[in-house]
Amino acid sequence: MNALVRTYGRTLTGLFVFLTTAWVIGMIVIPQLFMVERSLWVRQESTQLSLQIDRLYNDISLLRFDAQAAPDIDKPAVENKISKIEEQIAELEAQEKTPQKVYTLSNYTRMSGLHFKIFVRTIIYAAMVTVLALIVCYPIAFAVAQVATPQAAAFLMLGLIVPYAINELLRVYAWLMILDYQGVLNTMLQWVGVTNLAKHEWIPFLESPGAVFVAMVYAYILFMVFPIYNTLETLDRNQLEAARDLGAPTWRIHWRVAIPHAKPGIAVGCIMTFMLSAGSYAVPQIMTRGTSGDWFSQTIYRQFFESNNWNVGAAYAFTLLIVCIVFIFLMMLVFRVGVRDIAR
Amino acid sequence: MIAKGKNVVLDGVSMVFGDFTAVQETDLEIRAGEFFSILGPSGCGKTTILRMISGFLEPTTGRVLIGGDDMAGIGPNRRPTALIFQNLALFPLMPVWENVAFGLEARGVSKSKRRERAMELIDLVALRGQEEKLPGDLSGGQRQRVAIARALAVEPAVLLLDEPLSALDLKLRQHMRAELKDIQRKTGVTFIYITHDQGEALTMSDRIAVMNQGRVEQVDTTDVLYDDPATPFVATFVGEQNVFRGKVAEVADGFAVIEGPDGSLRGRNRSSLARGAEAMVFVRPERMQFLNGAALDNVVSANVDRRDLEGPFVNLFLKRDDNEIMVHLTNSGAAGRDLEGEQRIGFAATDALVLPAGELARD
Repeated sequence: MNALVRTYGRTLTGLFVFLTTAWVIGMIVIPQLFMVERSLWVRQESTQLSLQIDRLYNDISLLRFDAQAAPDIDKPAVENKISKIEEQIAELEAQEKTPQKVYTLSNYTRMSGLHFKIFVRTIIYAAMVTVLALIVCYPIAFAVAQVATPQAAAFLMLGLIVPYAINELLRVYAWLMILDYQGVLNTMLQWVGVTNLAKHEWIPFLESPGAVFVAMVYAYILFMVFPIYNTLETLDRNQLEAARDLGAPTWRIHWRVAIPHAKPGIAVGCIMTFMLSAGSYAVPQIMTRGTSGDWFSQTIYRQFFESNNWNVGAAYAFTLLIVCIVFIFLMMLVFRVGVRDIAR
Repeated sequence: MIAKGKNVVLDGVSMVFGDFTAVQETDLEIRAGEFFSILGPSGCGKTTILRMISGFLEPTTGRVLIGGDDMAGIGPNRRPTALIFQNLALFPLMPVWENVAFGLEARGVSKSKRRERAMELIDLVALRGQEEKLPGDLSGGQRQRVAIARALAVEPAVLLLDEPLSALDLKLRQHMRAELKDIQRKTGVTFIYITHDQGEALTMSDRIAVMNQGRVEQVDTTDVLYDDPATPFVATFVGEQNVFRGKVAEVADGFAVIEGPDGSLRGRNRSSLARGAEAMVFVRPERMQFLNGAALDNVVSANVDRRDLEGPFVNLFLKRDDNEIMVHLTNSGAAGRDLEGEQRIGFAATDALVLPAGELARD
């Protein structure tokens, strides 16, 4: 802190501290606290209340109809009845607007068997996407960092980055078009005679989780490639040559020299890819269109916007967050890297 | 204990990268079990030759033979060579003993055997007790020894060293020279040592090849190289030289007389120059002396410019027009301190070498 003040002066240092604090509070602490708070209470009986209110509104409409349609009715009596009901409604609505909050852990404990299955499956799928991405990205990162000439490396990097100039949704739609029933891949298979689109004989790629995996690996490839590339770039090429010169075959050079060196990058890449795929909503939504099971992110979405139950939604979201944090620590343990290595 | 060294033959080897010729067609034989240095300024192609011998580069033309076997198409992992890199390239995440044992690991030797053999080598390079440390925790000299042990572990017939001492400080470097020479003698492995430091090459080598701009200018034993350089480049790259220019005026009995701005100078005519040829006369600073009545074949007068005390000897610099003349004096007590103004210095014709005029090494 003193060093900062000496280098930048009081004003700038104050600004730095203020901005950092504002960022931490505004972007991390408050939203998370809000979500955690949400997840810890339930609204008592609110559905019953609204049902009651709905019924009373129905009664009013019925009475109004009566008042108009029946000629020999006691109009003042009906009006009186209506105003009484309206009073009752106002009372109930006031009650509905200030619902009774009951703090409880039930949002966490109440997860249904189906939702739990979806949750576990999502974690497993996200882990599989992470492994797939690692298998795909390590050779790419190695090639760009160590093998390619500077020009070729620049070209490869550009090739990796250019798709990211396009919105993620459009990139996913591109894969949808490739894997769709009458998509590019099935059409190409028709040329070889494997499928027949006219007779509806196609391979339903989209109905398998593999379609989501492919799109996800593609969508998040850079988050895996860049951290690995960054660490591999700092690997002294002489070490690879020394290993080769000492008689090591290629796989051993990677296993003993390159991969240990790239471990922090691999850990960061795995963490990022896992978090992104475990929390991805758009990719499974677009790719499966309901033809194969939900991912947990979709279940959370349904809790918020279809069941209109923000409390359970918040609890689900927080559970996912906790699992992701556990995953981070697990990765750090497996790769034996510290927070410092990751932050580098 | 370790397989005897093998000889290395470069047969018409050249290396071209695009339109740049790194190594011109070269024939070279390095004898089995010898300490051979390739000496030259940076960019002269010496590292390229080393990489062709180790197998990281395939020569554009010619053949590399090790122990009589053609190495064409054989990768660096299957050649009987081991390379010590300029920056050593130790594996920073492996402890010392695993570094040393890496070559054996690659050959599928069991862990206990590996460890045993690694410990033998660690003893050889006097690192006992450091085997569990990481290379980063060792001193420069210790790291150097790890690199040597790691290279020797695969029992190479030829050890290739790419300026491995250049990162060390002077004292350590001198110590390691002796140690390298000692290890070479003990193991009998052929050492091919790449360096731009002529002092290093002279102290350690049996023979030296001097390279310049992709061409081997001379291959000889250290003494011959020092006393009888074949070209002006070799003459000035190895050690210090005084250079006088002129034209050959007279030739007789293996000697030539050169007429130039510094007068008429006589020296050995090793390259049989004919009269009228452009020539250079080279004289080592330690072969020059101030004339105190002594009669010498050649005499030059020059003005004392400055005196550098090196300790055991003194460098005196004298100016004669554009030419700087350097004289080494043995320091037998304030040597040359009182010399001032114009002085006459001389040297014997047998200590002067006449060579055809050519490119000099840049300082």
